[in-house]
Amino acid sequence: MTKHNPLYQAMLTAVSQTLENMVFIEVTEHFDRSYEIPTEDLTWNSLLVNDPVQGEVRLAMAKTLMKKLTGNIFGIDDEEITPAQMDDILNELLNTIVGLFMTNLLAHDQEYKMGLPELGEGELPEIDENTIVWKLMTDEEDALQIFATGASLVALKND
Amino acid sequence: MKRIIIADDSTTARMFIKRCLQIIGLGDVEMIEAEHGKEALAAAKAQEVDLLLTDLNMPVMDGETLIKWVKASPKLVDLPIIVITSAGNPAKEAQLLKLGARRVLNKPVSPPMMMDALADFLDE
Repeated sequence: MTKHNPLYQAMLTAVSQTLENMVFIEVTEHFDRSYEIPTEDLTWNSLLVNDPVQGEVRLAMAKTLMKKLTGNIFGIDDEEITPAQMDDILNELLNTIVGLFMTNLLAHDQEYKMGLPELGEGELPEIDENTIVWKLMTDEEDALQIFATGASLVALKND
Repeated sequence: MKRIIIADDSTTARMFIKRCLQIIGLGDVEMIEAEHGKEALAAAKAQEVDLLLTDLNMPVMDGETLIKWVKASPKLVDLPIIVITSAGNPAKEAQLLKLGARRVLNKPVSPPMMMDALADFLDE
């Protein structure tokens, strides 16, 4: 897949716009395409796209980045941060990213339906041939990754 | 004192909305938080409320159902409703406006967006 196709750009724009607006952080593509977030530091969630195409989007990042974002958003110190706050922010980030992603991809007046975000546990699911991965990093080089999976979802403008 | 209900299942989203309201000069408004439509509806029925800000995708009762309930209630029919959602698009917006929402804003919401949407409310 090329980095310049509409699908790839739609997600990049959605993530950038969400993080810049919500947490004042800029994201770029990760310089190391082979980088994986260590499992012991991994936090992730997923959200289903139900209509007009079917698929799933996952957001994964290091817990250390999640903690930074939470402190930044709530304006609190590390020791005050609760797991519930981090989970809620992760879910709201994914919810907003997927909404923008679908808006960027679909025709102007085309409706879409998405589910509610759900937290993942343990390792990320296996990547198959219908999964596209965006490996990104913040300006402080903290890694985050987005996965879009599902044949009809990734076929959208994936020229 | 004016009262605004903020209905969203995300603590983070409610906090962002409250922050936007504070930035545009509504820091002294009483903000009532609700985690879903049913809670928001109960809060609206229990006291005088000036504005309802609601998300669409919520458990228990979603935003669209909440709007229908508000517009079906003689007591609440005139309550202004602004939808703040990540699932908005022109077709959905038209549908929500037809149901009775005053405006539909797409997440991530920002103070200028909120200022524009609440211009009438701020003038009152």
